[in-house]
Amino acid sequence: MLSYSHHERGRESIGCLRRKHDSTRLRQRPWKSGILGWLDGGEWLTMATAAEFDQMIKSGELIESPREMTPEYKRELKHTLIVSGDTELISAPAYYLAAKRAPSINAFMTGIAIIQDELAHAHIAYHILEELGEDQEKLIFSRDPKSFRYPYAFDVPLDTWTELVVANGMYDQAGFCLLGDIHEKCSYGPWKRGLNKVMAEENFHLRNGRTWMKRISQAGGAAKDELQRAVDWMFPLSVEWFGLPDSLKMHSTQLEYRLKGLTNDQLRQWWLSLVVPYCEQIGLKVPAHKETADGKDVWELDYPFPCEFDAEAKRWDFKQPISWDNVLVRWRNRGPRNAEMVAMFQEEFHKFRKTHRTAS
Amino acid sequence: MTADRLWAALAEVQDPEMPVNLVDLGVIYRIVEKDGIVDIDLTFTAMGCPASDFILEDVRERLLREVGILEVRVNVVWDPPWTAARMTQDGRDALEAWGLAV
Repeated sequence: MLSYSHHERGRESIGCLRRKHDSTRLRQRPWKSGILGWLDGGEWLTMATAAEFDQMIKSGELIESPREMTPEYKRELKHTLIVSGDTELISAPAYYLAAKRAPSINAFMTGIAIIQDELAHAHIAYHILEELGEDQEKLIFSRDPKSFRYPYAFDVPLDTWTELVVANGMYDQAGFCLLGDIHEKCSYGPWKRGLNKVMAEENFHLRNGRTWMKRISQAGGAAKDELQRAVDWMFPLSVEWFGLPDSLKMHSTQLEYRLKGLTNDQLRQWWLSLVVPYCEQIGLKVPAHKETADGKDVWELDYPFPCEFDAEAKRWDFKQPISWDNVLVRWRNRGPRNAEMVAMFQEEFHKFRKTHRTAS
Repeated sequence: MTADRLWAALAEVQDPEMPVNLVDLGVIYRIVEKDGIVDIDLTFTAMGCPASDFILEDVRERLLREVGILEVRVNVVWDPPWTAARMTQDGRDALEAWGLAV
């Protein structure tokens, strides 16, 4: 068993344990300070200082257990996982309320399979959080709806099958970019590996979104008009998904700890490079275009970013630029469907608990 | 043989959910071609397969890209039922590498 006492530790050490038998690691990076070795269950252990830990992250090494982390790293990892878990979790009720409007039984089954995937993805994130000392049940069933940390887009109701498939094509594309980046770069091994399955499944969701968007667009007429209207309000919400522009976000602990690899603007550009050409190819209008500067493609938005959004009417006012402070206020207040969606799973859980107690 | 060519074509069609092609997955039962018309028997790994629409679409689209193929008639069959034993060794290896116990 691993254990250590505080008074034995070096001045700067912060309690990250490394197994000394991992000789490669030590050969590459012998701890210069704060070293403490002792025999415990037959293994010599050493501790890294905060500086050594940061260096280890920089060199591309994977962290494999909570024992190896600094408290700061753990805090940031947990924060990132909560956003990921909450986003996957809330997409389930959001998609379910729209999947009920599926035009055929096969389409409904695809919708339901996607929802099942999203719940499994949420579980991966919450399960890791549990290993980091959080209580999964409390996180899901006892938190105030407003404290859930998912993108504002999900608070705006998806009311039709058309809106659901645009969500699969645009929101899941955003999720794909964010998680794809984490999958490639994340310094926390268990999460990085957990994302193998997630990435394959997100591909399937995208497929559903893109296939149906194309079908509806080809159908033309009122169906296509409805699709274009959905794209009109959902495109800018997805652009907003990636958060503050880099010019306003000077410092990212997530990047420093390699919890992700790309900046907000880089992720946003990646998303635009995938979504804009596809929409144009299937005959949809989107408010963005490509410019080439110094041989590099840059995607430019054709509207002030950010700008005013009326969530009830699902309408953007491109003539009304606003500040990011305004956006953050809107995000914090959450949108129309936040409480209803959280209640969907929390109420059922508490009802179940009550009946269960009465029965036993 | 046209049939060999059509089997090879379907070996290029990936399952929409898993990193394995339809032939290695063992869901293609029979391919018969006559005068440019293909009759194909295929099954799904489960009756409620959420990817069934995509699979049918992909099969049609791929076979119609073959020279001389004018029409593709897909017959979905449930007998014999699909089991994991119908996968080829390559299919099994691909899914195992992906982390699925087969």
